[in-house]
Amino acid sequence: MKVSIKINGTVLERDVEPRLLLVHFIRDVAGLKGTHVGCETGHCGACTVLLNGKPVKSCQLFAVQANGSEVETVEGLERDGKLSLEQEAFIDNFAMQCGYCTPGMLMITHYLLRRYPRLTREEIREKIHGNYCMCTGYVQIVNAIEDAFKRRGT
Amino acid sequence: MSFRAEYETSSDRYKRDLYHSTYVETQLKYIGKKFRRVEDRDIVRGRMGYADDIDFPGQHYAAILHSPYAHALIKSIDYTEALNLAGVKYVLTGEEVARLTKPITARAAPTSPKTQYVMAYRKVRYMGEPVVAVVAENKYVARDALDLINVEYERRPVVRDLDDALRPGAPLIYEELGTNVVIHDKFEFGDVEEAFQRADKTVKRRIGIHRYSSTPLETYVVNANYDKLRDLLEVVATDQQPGRTVQSVANLLGLPMSKIRLIVPPMGGGFGYKLAVWQYIAIISLLSMLTGRPVKWIQTRSESLYGPHRPKGYMDVELALSSSGKVTGMRLTDWEMDGNWPYVAGLYSLIKFANMSGPYEIPSYSFEYYSIATNYPPVVQDRGVGKPFMTFALERIMDVAAKSVGMDPAEFRLRNMVPPEKMPYVTPSGEIYESGNFPATLKKALEVAEYWKWKEAKKGRRIGVGISCGIEPGTSNLGYYYLTKPGTPDFTGAGEMSTVELTPDGYLRVNMNGPEIGTGHVTTLKQVSCEIFDLDPERVIVSKVFDSTEGHLGYSGTYSNAFNDVYIGAALAALRQLREKVLRLASHLLGTEPSDLEMRNGNVCEKGSSRCVELSEVARLAYNRLTFLPAGESPGLRIIASYSNTTAKPFNRSNFNVQLTHSNSAHVAVVEVDPQLGSVKILRYVIVHDAGRVINPGIVEGLAIGSTASGIGGALYEEFVFDEDMNNLSLTFGDYLKPTAMEIPDIEVVQMETPAPNTPFGTKAVGEGGAITSLAAVANAVEDALTDYGVEVTSLPLTPERIWKMTRGA
Repeated sequence: MKVSIKINGTVLERDVEPRLLLVHFIRDVAGLKGTHVGCETGHCGACTVLLNGKPVKSCQLFAVQANGSEVETVEGLERDGKLSLEQEAFIDNFAMQCGYCTPGMLMITHYLLRRYPRLTREEIREKIHGNYCMCTGYVQIVNAIEDAFKRRGT
Repeated sequence: MSFRAEYETSSDRYKRDLYHSTYVETQLKYIGKKFRRVEDRDIVRGRMGYADDIDFPGQHYAAILHSPYAHALIKSIDYTEALNLAGVKYVLTGEEVARLTKPITARAAPTSPKTQYVMAYRKVRYMGEPVVAVVAENKYVARDALDLINVEYERRPVVRDLDDALRPGAPLIYEELGTNVVIHDKFEFGDVEEAFQRADKTVKRRIGIHRYSSTPLETYVVNANYDKLRDLLEVVATDQQPGRTVQSVANLLGLPMSKIRLIVPPMGGGFGYKLAVWQYIAIISLLSMLTGRPVKWIQTRSESLYGPHRPKGYMDVELALSSSGKVTGMRLTDWEMDGNWPYVAGLYSLIKFANMSGPYEIPSYSFEYYSIATNYPPVVQDRGVGKPFMTFALERIMDVAAKSVGMDPAEFRLRNMVPPEKMPYVTPSGEIYESGNFPATLKKALEVAEYWKWKEAKKGRRIGVGISCGIEPGTSNLGYYYLTKPGTPDFTGAGEMSTVELTPDGYLRVNMNGPEIGTGHVTTLKQVSCEIFDLDPERVIVSKVFDSTEGHLGYSGTYSNAFNDVYIGAALAALRQLREKVLRLASHLLGTEPSDLEMRNGNVCEKGSSRCVELSEVARLAYNRLTFLPAGESPGLRIIASYSNTTAKPFNRSNFNVQLTHSNSAHVAVVEVDPQLGSVKILRYVIVHDAGRVINPGIVEGLAIGSTASGIGGALYEEFVFDEDMNNLSLTFGDYLKPTAMEIPDIEVVQMETPAPNTPFGTKAVGEGGAITSLAAVANAVEDALTDYGVEVTSLPLTPERIWKMTRGA
């Protein structure tokens, strides 16, 4: 099937199998390797991207379901060689170890920053509970997200 | 003076004495600093380059069909239809594997089983064992093909648990052994019988541990490319022990080791789980050699949850006590329910010698152990291996013992700890605790966690406080595999090589000797390199990719908490040699004695003067202006050097050290339990830990928290559940419950630094400590919270269902 998907501002038109998962479209067709597969069942959130501005788990959608939509991935956060404030906040707070969950964590953070004026630590914990991290124990990730809200200001 | 008063008056003194080591006062620019991780700029931009991000031209894909039964004979395999599917290139079965490779052997068993191969051959022994592998042009078609394969099985009775495995007439996992006991041995150190005869009191419990696993977010990935033109097998894989893998795969496939190049890109977590990938590297390499195509296999999450795991186990723990509250002897009997994969049989038991007596001075102990084959899936050396269970059992029985002599658990522990003035302390079996101040660590934790305040807050609420004190060993002296079997150990984890060079254009390049699993190796090696060369971080390039052809010792890899010691030690050895050569060449250029020279921000300078030569100028001399080299000096600036921690003892049964450094920590957990819901909420969690000198406090803090979170998961939520046919019922993250950000509290970490005398910088291990120590902290706290129910926690996980049943006497 023909699909047209805008990824990080660039429109990609491709002929794909109907069963191709969106995450495989992003990784294998668009060649954007920052979006990861962690569980294939929608639990872990490693494949989180924004679809028309809302967070989705891209292993739970077919590419054809994103036809005509706009997808944002971790590669789209950096602007003109400058890291985004959530990227900076994650680095400064040692919020990653292996980094496999980080792109998904950054995309959910990107969404939270857009959506909410402020969040408490408990609220941050609740909002990211669909994104697993096996390394950090989350404390430094929550620190980073809290810090990102501070950096952005309200 | 009461214990509490004594503790409070002494706390100031402890604050003054015990926090620092000498190096803090010395002038270091990079080491000991919260230096931002170099890896992170790649990670946040999605450019880390994990194994699945890399393709070979003409990439093909493999999919594996696994056994749906835990124990069965394979009667026939029909794959005609699969082979006819468009895009399918090859189908491999165990019959062919058995013709082309050798069986897996046991590392620690006196008699090795010899009928198990990297793929099931005529018999399956666990649910999830690989039975057929398919190669196809794309990954979707490879998986489609699996549905077209018909395997006829004849099911056999299964071996579920200890009694089941040991009863007469039990089904046998390995018929050739005639028993399901793969290893059985007994050790005794000191006069244990006398200690028990003279004891004023004894306590004994059977403590259990369940099946759980660290489940790295990235699963196994293997991409093998056998290139006929170069006669070279190139493999990209998620492998934590590539040194061993190259040896094993070369041996299995009958290739010279030099014909294998194993590349290990940064991994999405390791935790020991990725020590067992070599089985699949052998399968996928074979597929590439048979098809002449590059073949990639990406393990699915369900496949990764089949196994390997930590083994289930039981331990009988018995303490001899004096009326004054001293532990005078200990008897241990350990049953490791190993599943089946003889390679690692017995490991979880044997490694317990590294922290058997914990931070305590126990004059005599005995250890009897059994490795039992069952129809559980294979076992792998998951974070801390047998040490989390050892500490769980010991720290549980310490609470039971304290109660039996009417002492506070903190006071009882302090009374039995090795006093700092006895360091280095040698345990009865020969483990050398080279450094640490155990009582100070616990006292600090009690103070920070406000232990006494919480003890009072309990009143009227089901709040419990749990203490756990753990030893976190580092650097493995792998010879312990030979404690029960005869022979000379031919491997050790105590040594490694490193390659460093000053490149022709003046950059300092350092190879990656310990594969990156998320523990900040690139950053740490960079900090060390910048320190030794006084060089701007921009001028130092540390590879994030491990390359087996770059010069390594036999068992190189990231395991057993050795990086801080062995891998940094090797890099340091190479950096120092390179520095000396650079100084000699600079001396030639400047006409100044090397001893009068120093490194200064990318230059070599005369001390106290502005006469300098740039490193790039030194490189030009070494690489290009060979006729101008001083007499007797060889060209080039590339050094390969090695390091081995010399405190590893050769093994004998009465005196041996399993590991070489010993970090220690005290955890205090405060929980509130709701018996109606069976839920546990962690109100406060404090870690005071001593990992010796710290190179990067930001990284170390993260590892202390993260490893603790993994233990909290194991203590409260995670368990692989099997039905009576030994079917694994936990094959998604919907069934196997990992803690999320909502379950893990804001864990507080206090770092103490007692440097190790036997590592290059005084560093000790960090990375496994939380996994080792946290189980008992949580369990002790939950039991404390449920005091009025009179319950005793002797196994995990403390799920809501378990707590609900416990509080109802079920």
